[in-house]
Amino acid sequence: MRMKLVGVMVGLLVGATSGIAHHSWPVEYDANKPISVKGVVSKVEWTNPHTHFYVDVIDENGKLTTWNFEMASTVALERGGWTRKTLPVGTTITVTGFGGRAVTTKAIANSMVTVDGKSLFVAPKN
Amino acid sequence: MIRVVVISIALLQAGVPRSAQQLPQRLGGANGPEAMKNSEDRPAPRLADGKVDLSGVWTGGGDAPVERLLKPGELENLMLPWAKQRFAMRKQNPATDPYFDCLPGGPLRITGGFAWRFVQHPTTNSTHIFMLQEGNAHTYRQIFIGRKHPEDPSPTWYGHSIGRWEGDTLVVDTIGLNDRFWLDSAGTPHSEKLHLVERWTRINFTTLRRVVTIDDPGTFTKPFDVTFTAKLSVPGSEILEYICIENNQFPDRAVPDSK
Repeated sequence: MRMKLVGVMVGLLVGATSGIAHHSWPVEYDANKPISVKGVVSKVEWTNPHTHFYVDVIDENGKLTTWNFEMASTVALERGGWTRKTLPVGTTITVTGFGGRAVTTKAIANSMVTVDGKSLFVAPKN
Repeated sequence: MIRVVVISIALLQAGVPRSAQQLPQRLGGANGPEAMKNSEDRPAPRLADGKVDLSGVWTGGGDAPVERLLKPGELENLMLPWAKQRFAMRKQNPATDPYFDCLPGGPLRITGGFAWRFVQHPTTNSTHIFMLQEGNAHTYRQIFIGRKHPEDPSPTWYGHSIGRWEGDTLVVDTIGLNDRFWLDSAGTPHSEKLHLVERWTRINFTTLRRVVTIDDPGTFTKPFDVTFTAKLSVPGSEILEYICIENNQFPDRAVPDSK
């Protein structure tokens, strides 16, 4: 059941992020790789077929890893109230999502909360 | 479970808020055009010449995999041996869908989860009807009213489409399609012999019914029908710019740690 729920979540999320399921999500992301990172937004690509934002994460050993998170298309996000300025570079955020199958530092975002507690959706609501 | 996911995805993919008041201004929200009431209780609007007005921004109407619109196993039973083999191969390799390279998805998938617009031009006694696609290839399909097909047209992604009215139904006949796209997201194959006959009926203000006869003697043993439904987007909706190729990272996924 848990796996099914995770699958549904990823399905919903990736479906939403694709705008038209542009990607075949099971090919890219692994529902068995839930991830949660906290870091600083270093770049935002307000682009299609999907928006991407990059988060610099420093681990306990001081090693820097830049994660590439994928979200919805611009058209889907815009209909949900986003603009290209919604997530400024330099924002500290906590992101959850699911990791990539082939590229370990790529992930699909599932939730995003700024350091001051503001929750930003990653998929349009209906 | 799968159906729930598919339905949910379809809803989310459309990404269209329920209320016009929720829309940003440039999308026709609180400060956009005055919202008119959308309702299934209202009849389809008509143009000055009496034709049904199909124009508007719609979502859906062609993105469901064909096999889900038929009885279990029915589609494969209709397939010629090569097509069964190709269908199975594509299901094993969904990432090979040309659609993921931002290429067109053909006449059915142009009406997917993204918004799309019907344009009747001119607005009365139309000679052309256009389908403008927001998503993926961000392209258009043109339907010529009152014309005939050319002899042996060169195969293209959307083919050659001619339209005529049968009562309140727009009948669109399409030939000249290439075989480079997948007919649907499940990978249903087709050949250049594909002949589509679509019957578009605006059954009420907010609903378009699309009955498609799929006739492809190069792929299927006989013609068959499938029915799709498109829904009108909220008042004031516009199709937006979407350039799929600008940052398509999908191919990178097949190369471990390439980025």
